[in-house]
Amino acid sequence: MVLKQKQIYCHPDLCIGCRICANACALAREGEANPRLGRINIRQNLFERYEYQELCRHCDDPPCLDACMVGCIEKDAYTGIVTNDDSCVGCWMCVMVCPYGSMRRDLIKQMAVKCDQCKDREGPVCVDVCPTGALVFKEREDTPEDPFFTGPAVT
Amino acid sequence: MEEKRPLCVNAIVNLTERTVELTETPEEIIRQFVGGRGLNMYYLYKYLKPQADPLSPDNVLILGTGILTGTLSPNSGRHNVTCKSPESGIIGDANIGGFLGPEMRFAGFDRLIILGKADKPVYLYLENGKIEIRDASDYWGLLCSETEAKFKYDLGSDIEVQSIGPAGENLVRFACTRYGVKNAAGRTGTGAVWGSKNLKAVVARGTCGLPIENPQAMIEKYIELRDYLKESKVINVLGRVGTPLLYDVSNYLGAIRTHNSQQTVFFDTLNAEEVHKHVDKMLGCYGCVVHCRHRNTLGGEGPEYTTEVLLGANIGVADTGKMIDLNNIVNDLGLDVSSTGTYIAWAIELFEKGYLTEETSGRILRFGDYNMSRQLIYDIAYRRGLGDTLAEGSRLVEKFGPETADFLIAIKGLPQSDPHDVRYLKGFALGIATSSRGADHLRSRPTLEILDLPPSFTTQIYGEAVDPNPTSYQSKSRVVYFSETIYAVVDCMGICKFICHGFNSPRNLNYDHFRELTRLATGLEFSKEDLHSIGRRVIDQERLINYQEKGITRKDDTLPARYFNDPMPSARAKGSYISHEGFNKMLDEYYELCGWDKDGKLLPGRIDELNRLRDIKEHKREG
Repeated sequence: MVLKQKQIYCHPDLCIGCRICANACALAREGEANPRLGRINIRQNLFERYEYQELCRHCDDPPCLDACMVGCIEKDAYTGIVTNDDSCVGCWMCVMVCPYGSMRRDLIKQMAVKCDQCKDREGPVCVDVCPTGALVFKEREDTPEDPFFTGPAVT
Repeated sequence: MEEKRPLCVNAIVNLTERTVELTETPEEIIRQFVGGRGLNMYYLYKYLKPQADPLSPDNVLILGTGILTGTLSPNSGRHNVTCKSPESGIIGDANIGGFLGPEMRFAGFDRLIILGKADKPVYLYLENGKIEIRDASDYWGLLCSETEAKFKYDLGSDIEVQSIGPAGENLVRFACTRYGVKNAAGRTGTGAVWGSKNLKAVVARGTCGLPIENPQAMIEKYIELRDYLKESKVINVLGRVGTPLLYDVSNYLGAIRTHNSQQTVFFDTLNAEEVHKHVDKMLGCYGCVVHCRHRNTLGGEGPEYTTEVLLGANIGVADTGKMIDLNNIVNDLGLDVSSTGTYIAWAIELFEKGYLTEETSGRILRFGDYNMSRQLIYDIAYRRGLGDTLAEGSRLVEKFGPETADFLIAIKGLPQSDPHDVRYLKGFALGIATSSRGADHLRSRPTLEILDLPPSFTTQIYGEAVDPNPTSYQSKSRVVYFSETIYAVVDCMGICKFICHGFNSPRNLNYDHFRELTRLATGLEFSKEDLHSIGRRVIDQERLINYQEKGITRKDDTLPARYFNDPMPSARAKGSYISHEGFNKMLDEYYELCGWDKDGKLLPGRIDELNRLRDIKEHKREG
């Protein structure tokens, strides 16, 4: 049985680029104000006029998982959440392959950090602090309620 | 085990000798001045040689973050840029939002104290507790936007840049420093001081982070305060249309500075709904819950209410698109909007009155001429022809004759930033007259005056019933005294004034909130009384520097002659003017509240206290 997966979505139109999400994430996870360690990041360019939210999609087939050479990234079969652990060696392969730019580097510990949807907390902190409601945490609409194949196909 | 990061790390950068020295501010001093504007003033007093020429290497340039800058406090993206002003000759101080302040702290520095002068263009690069003085010859001459874009191209997109534009390089006395497209440390000509030190930019990449005393409680506090602030009506409106919402109100009252304050009513074309047709999106600075910054469709950001009036009504440009165009140009050149608009309007009136002629100025100056104004703005920034003359700012009074000062809307040598004609609201008038950096509304504007609040309510806010009639001279000194103190504290905190109690709503963050936020972020305990006395100490420190540098006393706490002599011509405010008698009475009361003598000087006891604090030695730090 697969749980209906939840995901952090973003409305880019509502994002004002205040980066409080990144800082709150770092504060919740690392205990210090340091947006670079936020698992979410707002890439803003005031001259090219965009705010892009680098946040983990917890892909069905995560490229970071495939690329990780020590196997420290895994996808929970039940919740669908992709996590890494501290056996990371800092090779940054996952950073390179992530199509959404959502793997972050902790340069002091030499380890990749990634979003785990604050699974030990009641809802992701970035969603809680977002002042405009640009970030929302809701069920994925594209996961099927009942898996189409229930077992090995028999003809 | 790593040692705990001190509360305030200062880097003393000597550009002449190319040395960097780190010091820690002792806790004793932090308890007296907190940070931001307060500590900047303390260090200005400590390092500035009396009577130094503002554009010489002797001037001291300070970039200082507030004690809450970069923490999870709402709207905590601000820092102060402080020096001796080349425009007014007294303190120069400007508060700027954006992301550089937090990034400086994340890079390991709370304050930069820049001394001397580099022999060629340089920029400062801050990363991981280290400062490099790097060559900036590739960036010299570029516009603000080009400078920042080139830095991001050369050094990576995750840096933050504050820079000067051509105006600062050419030592225009009212040049500003800029972060991003529009955020500016605008007033008092700080950009010219950067230019005089050959400092093009400060670039920061913050990888160190900032320790927070109580992270979980801080997150909860942020959420609580955000929800509290978002209930405020005025914050909601500011988030939707920004400051232009005030234009309509002032215009209805008949208090828009129009044609160099010769008139007070202007066209509806600059109303918020018209401006909003040119807006793509609203943006926020670091940690912002208000988001009042417009991204406009003409390629820039803004306009603010100030810009609308000073580059619109004041010089007679009624077309919304053209006004926004002027706004974008001024921003990119790195000029202070308030001063630029005031000087252009003044020059036009000088032309009307015959002090300037077509031969001396090389053109015909008249109100409403967009092309002329546009050209003149470029000429000022690049110091060409008449622009070269105007770039000297309020010092031109000496050139054109003392009587021309009567129609320059400036106090203590600094043009008025508030687009509101203060002849109607007496509290506003006292505020700009006594403000420590010249005619400026961000020091003490008691905005609530406009709301006709009942005495029961004003007692709650100000601790004393205040006459609800905005045109009365009664008890207005109390309002100004209260406002300037809390604004000084909010500047020390590094928080935006838009969420400060009393600036535009009586229910925003007050001393109690600041106390709690400082406790959660740093562990320092302040009482409400402590914070109040810190605000007073900062204002007294500024007063002392002003007295030392230019002998600022009662004679300088005055208003432009036009506000005393000419009654307002139209609408509801028609006939209002400031009476000398009423004004002097307000001033007497105000000095008494401040604990100054009748001439507006500090008492000797206070001067001794400030001198004693100045002489306290600092710990050096290994860099």
